[in-house]
Amino acid sequence: MSKRINGKTAFVTGGAGGIGWAICKRFAAEGAKVICADITAPGDFPPENVEHRSLDIADEAAVRSAFARLAAEWDSLDILVNAAGIEIEKTIEDTTLEEWNRSFAVNVTGTFLCSKFALPMLRKDGGASIINFGSYDGFIADPGLAAYCATKGAVHALTRAMACDHGPEGIRVNAICPGYVDTPMLQSFFEGEGSGGGGKNIDELQQAVRDVHPMRTYGTPEDVANLVLWLASDEARYASGQLWVLDGGLSAQVQQMKL
Amino acid sequence: MRLSGKSALVTGGRQGIGRGIVEAFLREGAGVITCGRGQRPDNLPDKCEWYQADVSDSDQVAALAAAVPAFDIIVNNAGVQVEKTVAESTDADWDLVMGANARGVFNICRAFIPLMEQGGSIINIGSISGHVADPSMALYNASKAFVHGLTRSIAVDHGPRIRCNAICPGWIETGMLDAGFALAADPKKARAEALQRHPVRRFGRPDDIAVIAVWLASDEAAFATGQFFTIDGGLTAASPLQPGLS
Repeated sequence: MSKRINGKTAFVTGGAGGIGWAICKRFAAEGAKVICADITAPGDFPPENVEHRSLDIADEAAVRSAFARLAAEWDSLDILVNAAGIEIEKTIEDTTLEEWNRSFAVNVTGTFLCSKFALPMLRKDGGASIINFGSYDGFIADPGLAAYCATKGAVHALTRAMACDHGPEGIRVNAICPGYVDTPMLQSFFEGEGSGGGGKNIDELQQAVRDVHPMRTYGTPEDVANLVLWLASDEARYASGQLWVLDGGLSAQVQQMKL
Repeated sequence: MRLSGKSALVTGGRQGIGRGIVEAFLREGAGVITCGRGQRPDNLPDKCEWYQADVSDSDQVAALAAAVPAFDIIVNNAGVQVEKTVAESTDADWDLVMGANARGVFNICRAFIPLMEQGGSIINIGSISGHVADPSMALYNASKAFVHGLTRSIAVDHGPRIRCNAICPGWIETGMLDAGFALAADPKKARAEALQRHPVRRFGRPDDIAVIAVWLASDEAAFATGQFFTIDGGLTAASPLQPGLS
């Protein structure tokens, strides 16, 4: 079978995280050359065609110089995935201004900065795809995640604005909105106080969460990587400005009742 | 091939988006059956079987279900439009539009869901018009909102055995798009202005929709259910008010 993004170049922020790493591996397996940009190094040894670079996406000078370096190495960039993100598991009352600002710095400003400095390389080849990370939480609130929910709503609006402004240059912009995906971030959410667990232990809590999904499971990083790959590929050439919810049906229902 | 070994029913595969999906599914290795109200179209690929059936008629759909094997993939694509406001629409318009677009999707789902196995995928063709109104398309817009509601219900009631999603195409180059522009005072000008409202600066093609149908039908979409997959070249991401356009 032919590879679906063969010969393309990709820059994945948050590339060492649960979902980001699955995207880097999938992109490389489908023929792309990938920069895995992350403040921390991946836990696994990178496969061929995946190179880790340390980057704090909230630092303007660092982002500018990361893309200046890339421009000296590659002619153009075909795919930018803004997957880096953090979550603070608190209500607004408990969230400090510093935590609030850091949430926006990484989740929103980081997406802004990487997109801004990648644009000259993205428009060079006449067509490119940006995939932002929104969230189910940008539409529907999970308890105790106030700043996170707000940042994801901002990413959704930014996605539409970027699609509108840069579509005529051949740049498509979409956001993936994952629901519950099995990552270290999800484990941390379950361990946090705000998750509404009410006395359940973590195993019981996880099973309860699975049971609420129409698909009776939560997602894997690979499930998300499958849709990111599709949006990155030329097959998605008419898809732009949209928010792609991937949540096992969770948000299709009002509330699940035992029938 | 991404659908090899799978079997699919695509309603309304005679032309337009439905035909695009039939051809894409065949390319990806699926066995495909399609149906429509008339005789088999001459140019339908040989590998695709044709059944004459009107999806708005539950007896004909029951007969179809009895005549064919169970499917892994169902695409409810058959649909019609009537370009009228509520005040202009007749009872016959209601029966035609709601019959095909709403009752037709219901008939097919009711007949085939019991036959589908674990891992089945239902793909309904909704529309951006189910979320925002196209002018003078009252019954069509409402029928697509029905499709969206039914999509969520099937996902919730029949998961995890069956996934159900809707694709919401924007303006796709088909006979139905031309019929829409024909309503304008100056159809040529309307077409040029509409293009300017699309961030990607073109209308869609049936294959732009077929590729997401392939993805939703495939096992890659195992976690996707109850959702709307809008492919509209950015049209609905942008405000309808755009200075510089009339």
